[in-house]
Amino acid sequence: MADFIIETKDLVKKYGKFTAVNGLSLQVPSGSIYGFVGPNGAGKTTTMRVLTTLTRPTSGQAWVGGNSVLEDRRAVRRAIGYMPDEFGVYDDLRVWEYLDFFAACYDIPENERKKLIDDLLELVDLTHRRDDMVDKLSRGMKQRLSLARTLAHDPQVLILDEPASGLDPRARVEIRELLVELAKMGKTIFFSTHILADVSEICTHIGIIEAGQMIAQGSMEEMRAQLVPHREIMVTVKDNEAAEQVKALVANLPGIIEIQILEPKGGRWRVRIDYNGDDEGVVGINQKLAASGIAVLGFSEETKDLEAMFMRVTKGIVT
Amino acid sequence: MTDDSLRGGRAREEAVSPREKRLERAGWALRIGAILYGVATVVMFGLVLLGGTGTVTGMFTAVHNLLLARFRGADEVAIAITFLLLQANVAALLVAMVGTLAREVWTFVALALILGGNVALLLLLGFTPGLLSVLAVLVAAGILLADMRAFRTNPVMLKEVRGRMRGIRAFMVMTIYLGLMSGFTVLLYLIYASASQMTGSTAAGQVGRLLFMGIVGIELLLIIFIAPSFTAGTITGERERKTYDLLQTTLMSSPMFVIGKLESALSYVLLLLLSAIPLQSIAFLFGGVSELEVVLAFVILAVTAVGLGTVGLFFSTSVDRTLAASVRAYSVALAITFGVPVLLGIYNGLLWPLFYGVGAPVGFPPALEVVLVYVREFLVSLNPITTALSTQELLINRGQIAFSSYTLSTTGGTMPIVSPWITFTIIYLVAAALLVVWSIRRMHRVEA
Repeated sequence: MADFIIETKDLVKKYGKFTAVNGLSLQVPSGSIYGFVGPNGAGKTTTMRVLTTLTRPTSGQAWVGGNSVLEDRRAVRRAIGYMPDEFGVYDDLRVWEYLDFFAACYDIPENERKKLIDDLLELVDLTHRRDDMVDKLSRGMKQRLSLARTLAHDPQVLILDEPASGLDPRARVEIRELLVELAKMGKTIFFSTHILADVSEICTHIGIIEAGQMIAQGSMEEMRAQLVPHREIMVTVKDNEAAEQVKALVANLPGIIEIQILEPKGGRWRVRIDYNGDDEGVVGINQKLAASGIAVLGFSEETKDLEAMFMRVTKGIVT
Repeated sequence: MTDDSLRGGRAREEAVSPREKRLERAGWALRIGAILYGVATVVMFGLVLLGGTGTVTGMFTAVHNLLLARFRGADEVAIAITFLLLQANVAALLVAMVGTLAREVWTFVALALILGGNVALLLLLGFTPGLLSVLAVLVAAGILLADMRAFRTNPVMLKEVRGRMRGIRAFMVMTIYLGLMSGFTVLLYLIYASASQMTGSTAAGQVGRLLFMGIVGIELLLIIFIAPSFTAGTITGERERKTYDLLQTTLMSSPMFVIGKLESALSYVLLLLLSAIPLQSIAFLFGGVSELEVVLAFVILAVTAVGLGTVGLFFSTSVDRTLAASVRAYSVALAITFGVPVLLGIYNGLLWPLFYGVGAPVGFPPALEVVLVYVREFLVSLNPITTALSTQELLINRGQIAFSSYTLSTTGGTMPIVSPWITFTIIYLVAAALLVVWSIRRMHRVEA
């Protein structure tokens, strides 16, 4: 259990006859940025509510930082910073008072709070709004303030429910950058989302949930390997002749599955190489092309779109 | 993992740090003290019944000698005092326990008062049960003094007060409140002035008394409406704002949360009460009202606010919506303020020959009359309005502030009567302390 900071085993949560989570087993390695992906209603929020001790599972077990959410609830609370999908506003408080209140809730002595608040505000870049009322902040700022709040007691794990939902593109990028920064500070970040761009950009690990069940999980590399059987290399050249030359050059290399010359687009010819070798192999192909003297305009490995990956594994069952 | 932990429902909040364990131990010492006083009350009630019905002779004297040896009055009075003191200890220990768990600095004041009070009672009246409180307080204080830094400003109260006193709302409420009261006072004076012009009587003392009673009366009505509404929205409000879950995942304990909410609501009500004291004091200009009455009126008003405030708080923890909590809190408040007097009227109506001097039917058992009189006194003490009127009557007509006597119509003997404000205060404080404890337990419940 030491490697996994969050772990659940056969977690089941029923609300009456409705089963929200159905035998979910989840492992979040320490220090990872774990994207918990699934369609709306798949059971993401319910799982998070179990992990944050807000609700009890119908059966199964869950641990956070080695503490059982059923038995050591306070120890779990000490270990986590939780941000629900709805921002809880105290519209009659100033920004610094908001943080001061939550710091006090975590039993941080008064004389340490001022410095802590200044540090937190600087981290989320809200120092200039210190004395403004909370409800005057934009949505993105509120979300950043929320994030600062979860950090007040220096928790090991951040559990964030849809941190980027409803934000404009700029605010979303800011939150993303902030999460990466927090991960660098050694925090494990477990967040749910249905926006796949968030996941592919920053996550080290990913779990896909649907209808209360874990469909696939693992590190991004594992997931890619698991879901996308081969790599796709795209070579862009000027004309058909060059394309044929490329095709002939790489055709008999080991690991090549298929080579296809695609329809020219915008006057450019593209050769798609399906390849199942490793990184060295890709470098090898590149070097070979360079050495051959063929006029190559572009050489890139197409990252299989997560969207495609997601569509492939989920069946669109939403309870 | 036991089956029980899976079934949801109430979960204890495990203490994790040494500090939390200390607080819990100190709380337990006080709680056990309160429970033992409760048990002692029940036991004593049984003994008194045995003595009163004549089953065991000399019971009253024995109880008097055992529990209140240095008191030189009659046995009956000694027993009445002992009852009150036991209940006062229950309330005080529960309050101190809640304060301990909520880590309130005032806990030490409460502990000191309990200790000092009981030692004084022991020395002056020989109140031996006080030793129990002394013991509980010493144990608790011994544990708590090792970690004074655990006690600090309640974050919830600080937050609430910051929010509440900001902006114009708090001052509008106060202005409207004082405006209403001032208008009422002027109206009352004008009515009286025109009435006395017609009748020609001009007793200044009467004007003063009328104004005082009018002001306290309207204040009481306002408090009855304000206190539950202030607290009924406290915890449901957090749920509606979606901040309840946030707070649940922090390390703040339920006692701190509940007490913080109660303190902030009650401190504002207290501010309203204090702000009206100058208005009450107008009565001094006309004379006819003593300072003692002003103090007693304030005590009754404050206790009403605390009692009904905790009723609102209790419903706020047990339902999800503010509206539902307010409806329930108001139902209870109305039942107490208007239901109880109706009940009292019916009760008096049925038993008026007994109470109003016509005389008891022949062969009516005296013990039953004693019980009936005490039931009436209890009903009076349940309601702030009847309490205030009855206390005032006792004070003016008999010059008694604490104890008086009642002449039995069956035997012509006397029985001790306690001034209603004392019983009222004790009943309300015990109820408030129990409701707070109950609210805290409700907060522990986890969604299953």
